[in-house]
Amino acid sequence: MVAKVSVTDLHKSYGDNEVLKGINLAVEANEVVVMIGPSGSGKSTFLRTLNKLEEPTTGSIAIDGIDLTAKDTNLNKVRENIGMVFQHFNLFPHLTVLENITLAPIELGKLSKAEAQELGLKLLDRVGLADKATAKPTQLSGGQKQRVAIARALAMQPSIMLFDEPTSALDPEMVGEVLKVMRDLAEDGMTMIVVTHEMGFAKQVADRVVFFADGYIREEGTPEQVFNNPQDPRAQDFLNKVLNV
Amino acid sequence: MMKKHTWLKASWLMVTMLLGLIVFNTTTAHADTKEPHYVITTDTTFAPFEFQGQNGKYVGIDMDMLSAIAKKEHFTYKLVPIAFNSGAQGVLSGQFDAIIAGMTITPERQQVYDFGTPYYKTGIIAAVSPKSGITDLNQLRGKTVALKTGTGSAQYAVSIQKKYGFKVTYFNDSNTMYNAVALGNAAAAFEDDPVMKYAIKNGVKLKIITQPANGGEYGFAVKKGQNKELLAKFNAGYAAIKKDGTYDKIVAKYLGSNEAKFSGDAKENNSIIGLLKQNKNQFISGMIKTLQLTIFGIVFATIFGVLIGVLAVVPNKFAHGFSSTVIYIFRGLPLLVLAFFIYIGLPSLTGTKIPAIAAGLITLTLNEGAYIAAFVAGGLKHVDAGQMEAARSLGLPYWKAMRKVIMPQGIKLMIPSFVNQFIITLKDTSILSAIGIIELTQTGTVIISRNMQGFRVWFIVAMMYLIIITLLTFLAKWADKKFASK
Ligand SMILES: Nc1ncnc2c1ncn2[C@@H]1O[C@H](COP(=O)(O)OP(=O)(O)OP(=O)(O)O)[C@@H](O)[C@H]1O
Ligand SMILES: [Mg+2]
Repeated sequence: MVAKVSVTDLHKSYGDNEVLKGINLAVEANEVVVMIGPSGSGKSTFLRTLNKLEEPTTGSIAIDGIDLTAKDTNLNKVRENIGMVFQHFNLFPHLTVLENITLAPIELGKLSKAEAQELGLKLLDRVGLADKATAKPTQLSGGQKQRVAIARALAMQPSIMLFDEPTSALDPEMVGEVLKVMRDLAEDGMTMIVVTHEMGFAKQVADRVVFFADGYIREEGTPEQVFNNPQDPRAQDFLNKVLNV
Repeated sequence: MMKKHTWLKASWLMVTMLLGLIVFNTTTAHADTKEPHYVITTDTTFAPFEFQGQNGKYVGIDMDMLSAIAKKEHFTYKLVPIAFNSGAQGVLSGQFDAIIAGMTITPERQQVYDFGTPYYKTGIIAAVSPKSGITDLNQLRGKTVALKTGTGSAQYAVSIQKKYGFKVTYFNDSNTMYNAVALGNAAAAFEDDPVMKYAIKNGVKLKIITQPANGGEYGFAVKKGQNKELLAKFNAGYAAIKKDGTYDKIVAKYLGSNEAKFSGDAKENNSIIGLLKQNKNQFISGMIKTLQLTIFGIVFATIFGVLIGVLAVVPNKFAHGFSSTVIYIFRGLPLLVLAFFIYIGLPSLTGTKIPAIAAGLITLTLNEGAYIAAFVAGGLKHVDAGQMEAARSLGLPYWKAMRKVIMPQGIKLMIPSFVNQFIITLKDTSILSAIGIIELTQTGTVIISRNMQGFRVWFIVAMMYLIIITLLTFLAKWADKKFASK
């Protein structure tokens, strides 16, 4: 079986600064992969190369068997299949909550306006915000914004979801509501790659934990393996710091 | 994909249609006979040789003579009244076929123009304000003398400048020059004898202090070596109207005229309402021209400005360079220089004539568009980069993301700048009077050259601008509200 996501020897440099130094990773369908690691280790950069928001320097990325680095690949089509959730939500402030969700499916001709609205309301219900359809993003709390952002990504009915520190910008009391939505999503079988500092989420939900440092994957395994018995000294050091606060 | 194309197509169609409309509008003077057709320029205000009559039509010795000759010699022409200096240059650049504008024949001019038979003998006289007490050129020592740019009178004055020790200052039309002297801003003005006499007869408060000097002759001119056929027709026609008495009748009509005949009813001239009534058609047509220039100027400048502004933010180095160069050039050039360059400079390079209104609109589009581009670029850069990333991550193509996500947010930031730019555009249209577009400001100049009612006419013109600006501001506020509530 072909992996859902398959990354081979991926390098990425900004000028002289090599941020990714040869990443290899395969993610299976329905798998939840959590990526952890110190700040500046390249987690965001890696995630953003997966939908080509960043152009890799060398190496190859295949999503559902489609090579993203090939010249004739229709990136927009590939992106429709990969939802992304950002640390700072990036909701469209000039649109209502429902319009945020329906914009892409309507504009890309995936759904009629009525169908998109029906789906949008269903998704809002799923993230617990059915009553906020006509609100503007500025009227929402951080946790609510992030749940709308997740609903927006889901509206394109992607088969993969990428999360880049989805709870880092939230007040602590709002973290739970977002993680709950993500957990539900994982239970429904969504393939997910999640960059997070929420170790509890990693332990409970992840099928696999990947530890990044200095542009390399230093450690990789089940949550039990990585958290209880890390092999790499840097991983040991990092986990010591984040688990014993 | 389909949708994007139809949108593009529709906007292109609109642009070409509007352009077509304008170009068509300005070239309809063509008669569909086989008679040869020429474009002939004249001065905007040089009574009694050329000035706008009360119905807005150009009249005067040159005008009546030209029309009589054209009839006799079977040719048609489109008349383009424009500041004398621009007209004279325009003939050399090929913009116009010929000029008839009380143009004195001089050896210098004969180097570059071919003149027809001299049709009017003139001399240069100096006039002062009666209040100044000046009676002699010697009293002008150390004082400033008003001259009209590019004229034979100006040349003469400069030639005696050393001898009498005066300073000079230049104006673009006779009436402003007279007023400078009448109001005491300059001590004297030099002008051709018949022109000055006509003005005084029609109420300009000046006094002639010299005998006609440096007698010269007026001639009809074409660019040297060009338009030989037209020149021959002019000469033949002139000989004919001289012989049959038409010419003498024309001259008598203007120099033997009494005040009311050309400058309007004296009673009406003394009230603003009277002036408005008397010149209603001219004011209306001037206002319409100004509105046309403003509205089309705004539409084109907005399209151009948004395009160039967007190029400043697309991820492409060449587009950035192009955008900032365009902004740099057209924002840096004074509007007047740009207008002259497009109207007079470009045709001498390319050999194709441009109607004044089209040149004016291109000028506005480039200049106002550059300002719009600058704030559009600024507004778009202000939109958080995460917005584009979020839109792209959903699969929206770049331009769709731009239109649906970035532009609506950017434009909201830009609305105050747009309103401001629209008002500036309206005011800037007045500068285009210099290339001969008879918009509101030029209408004022033209009416004053006939009736000499400077204060009242400028008051009316100023009020009309304020009214348009008020309407425009209301419209913008209404649009803003409508947009903001969306
Ligand atoms: N657009 C860019 N241009 C230049 N350097 C960049 C750019 N984006 C990221 N970097 C650099 O790449 C390195 C990795 O950044 P990245 O954001 O991927 O780290 P991270 O692991 O996500 O860290 P954090 O936990 O702080 O989010 C950093 O040194 C950063 O300065
Ligand atoms: Mg990061």
